[in-house]
Amino acid sequence: MSTNDPIDLRVDRRQWMKTSASAFGASLLPLNAVSAETPQAEAKAARATVSEVAETKSPGRFFTPAQHALVEELSETILPADSHSGGAKAAKVAAYIDQVLREGFDENQKALWRDGLHLIEVMSLHYHGKSFVSAAAGDRIALLTVLSNHVEMTDLPEVRFFIELKRLTVIGYYTSKIGIHDELQYKGNRVLQEYVGCDDQGPATS
Amino acid sequence: MAEPEVNLRKTYDAVIIGSGAAGGMAAHVLTTHGLQVLLLEAGKKLPIEQELRSMEWPYDNAHRGFLPPDSHSLTFNEYTIRNPPYGAGFEKAKHLHSYVGSTDYVKNIVVDERENPFTGTNYAWVRARCLGGKTNIWGRLALRLSDYDFKAKYRDGFGENWPISYSDIAPYYDKVDLYLGITGVKENLPYLPDSIFQRPTKLNCAEVTLKQGLQKMGRVLTQYRAGVTSDGLKHNKYRSRCYGRGACERKGGCDIHAAFDSPTGLIYPAMDTGNLTLRTNSIVREITVDQATGKASGVLFVDSQTMKDYNVRAKVVIVAASTLESTRLLLLSKSRLHPNGLANSSGHVGHNFCEHIMGPGVAGRAKDLVGKPPTLDDGRPGGFYLTRFRNLAEKHPKFIRGYGFEGGSGSAMFPRGADTHGFGADFKEEVRKNQGAFIGMGAFGEVLARYENFVELDPVVKDKWGIPSLRFRYKFGDNEYRMAEDMKETAQEMFEAAGFEIVHVSGRVLTEGWSIHELGTARMGNDPKTSVLNQFEQSHDVKNLFVVDGSAFVNASCQNPTWTIMALCWRSCDYLADELRKGNL
Repeated sequence: MSTNDPIDLRVDRRQWMKTSASAFGASLLPLNAVSAETPQAEAKAARATVSEVAETKSPGRFFTPAQHALVEELSETILPADSHSGGAKAAKVAAYIDQVLREGFDENQKALWRDGLHLIEVMSLHYHGKSFVSAAAGDRIALLTVLSNHVEMTDLPEVRFFIELKRLTVIGYYTSKIGIHDELQYKGNRVLQEYVGCDDQGPATS
Repeated sequence: MAEPEVNLRKTYDAVIIGSGAAGGMAAHVLTTHGLQVLLLEAGKKLPIEQELRSMEWPYDNAHRGFLPPDSHSLTFNEYTIRNPPYGAGFEKAKHLHSYVGSTDYVKNIVVDERENPFTGTNYAWVRARCLGGKTNIWGRLALRLSDYDFKAKYRDGFGENWPISYSDIAPYYDKVDLYLGITGVKENLPYLPDSIFQRPTKLNCAEVTLKQGLQKMGRVLTQYRAGVTSDGLKHNKYRSRCYGRGACERKGGCDIHAAFDSPTGLIYPAMDTGNLTLRTNSIVREITVDQATGKASGVLFVDSQTMKDYNVRAKVVIVAASTLESTRLLLLSKSRLHPNGLANSSGHVGHNFCEHIMGPGVAGRAKDLVGKPPTLDDGRPGGFYLTRFRNLAEKHPKFIRGYGFEGGSGSAMFPRGADTHGFGADFKEEVRKNQGAFIGMGAFGEVLARYENFVELDPVVKDKWGIPSLRFRYKFGDNEYRMAEDMKETAQEMFEAAGFEIVHVSGRVLTEGWSIHELGTARMGNDPKTSVLNQFEQSHDVKNLFVVDGSAFVNASCQNPTWTIMALCWRSCDYLADELRKGNL
């Protein structure tokens, strides 16, 4: 898979739906994910597995350990560590997202996350033959690039998931100590004697 | 918890309904005149510093500063696709708030929409029921109006002129400036008179660039005129001067009270006179009328917690419950003598509803600031105000009246570029490098005061306390939409003139009500047939009844109303005290 090739997500998703159906059975596909473009029968089969997954979740957590690991890698792909500062993993963004979902009342949002994480796995298996967590960094980036390049296709659940993933990752990261202090080196929220500002010649010196 | 009981057996000189900018000012002025005043507030007295926590870091807050996820604040889309009352669809949310209510710092200040429903046309109606009302969280932009507003009808023939001129109110603006403190820079503009300013905050570099770009176009950008004391106030022990701590952009208030709020600025000093009695949790449901004299005799109120009803008498009743709540109360106060509601022989109560239209604006980047080391850009109460330029010397062919822009630039605690496209290492670097270079502004335009825009009582729906709700019959009109198109065009044109790279231009008009500047529903005027109040905000019909909040406005101007509400209220209360002393009320 190359990010240079233009990908038509609408065409591609039919293929990766099929691939995943033959490799793992249609049951891997969650209900909401398939309802957009596949028949009801398949969708029904999918529902059974979704509830099985829900049973394995950790007590007091929204994500299962496997989902948590996946969210960690997804968020780190959105905001990676670099030479400047730590990334989403170090900022514990996955734990923040878990809290939002666990404490939230919006069942649609929760379903979007459950379904979205499944779809990422289905896509990763289709494009790279392995789960997102095991995929190489470049392959992870390539997969999210497909979604990022199609953000206008909000009728597709995987696209809606990407938008939501990025939204909560960005909030979680830039409200963390690492995001505010290490990454942005924010200077405010302290008592100032005088705001320096700018004169007509450029920044004033204090 | 039971409310400490106040003496309700005595007849007060005045009872004030509402403790926001208007009610607080009435309490200040009347207690200074030696009147015995009872102040009733519908909401609680909150431990406000604990609510606001202005310097709390997001990561030290259980929900990063946001509303707890079991509650919800309405979004623009939800306002657009749903109809009031807004409770439906959010049954599982513990609390439902207006769009202001999305942070942990205001969640107890703004009302729960389901306890306080309204019906009719879409409206983002932001209400704060607590001591001080919306002044606890206001945007602080403190502007004067001018005769361009008070006498606008002379200029374009629309609507009515105010029964006062700038010269009538100017001395009271001065009093408000000196008593409460305001920062800004003198500009000598006839349409935006200067205040008596304390030490101004400075512009930052992108703002200076914009100011210089605008000078070539003959347009004026000035420092945000903030109702904030930058030098401190020797006469007020409850308020600190501004220490530029930043995070002032966050939805929330100022926990050291450098920004004006009604409790520390007006009510606590009024209590120190010994003349003010305060009762919170007191929802007034009716102004009572002496059926022999036709005058107001006091109020009926319900304790919001115990649901117990009370009656209290006063020589003068002052309504200051916020524009639409004051209107609702007048309409609720029906009697044999006042079948259309109190002070409503004209039929104008609830009508001529006006405010500011918002939404169009622009975001850009100052390219010379991209990649520069981070700077401290938010250590001040506001950025800039770009003053009105339409329909001053020349007539615009497509619309009447004007608009101004509020804006700011530079680094903020949450990066302005976080909505940049993409993800990954490039996205992260892009956000970091651009964080200090962003500049943005949004317009506030005058919505014409039209009789056809109104609120009335809903015949069916009631609030949690069994009090009939308001029904809205309110929409922006053609003049506003034509103005909004122009806002978008000029916003882009001005950023281009300043040499900024345009990131986003928006012409999207936000839901009615978004500006939180609702005005005009009990307007002043000289003619009792077409107005509710005289020039002293005194009812034409009931001479011991005054309505001293934004409902008295004759038009909305495009300039923010709080300072004018307080200046008018001061003037009216001076008159009231004098008339009461003379036995004329």
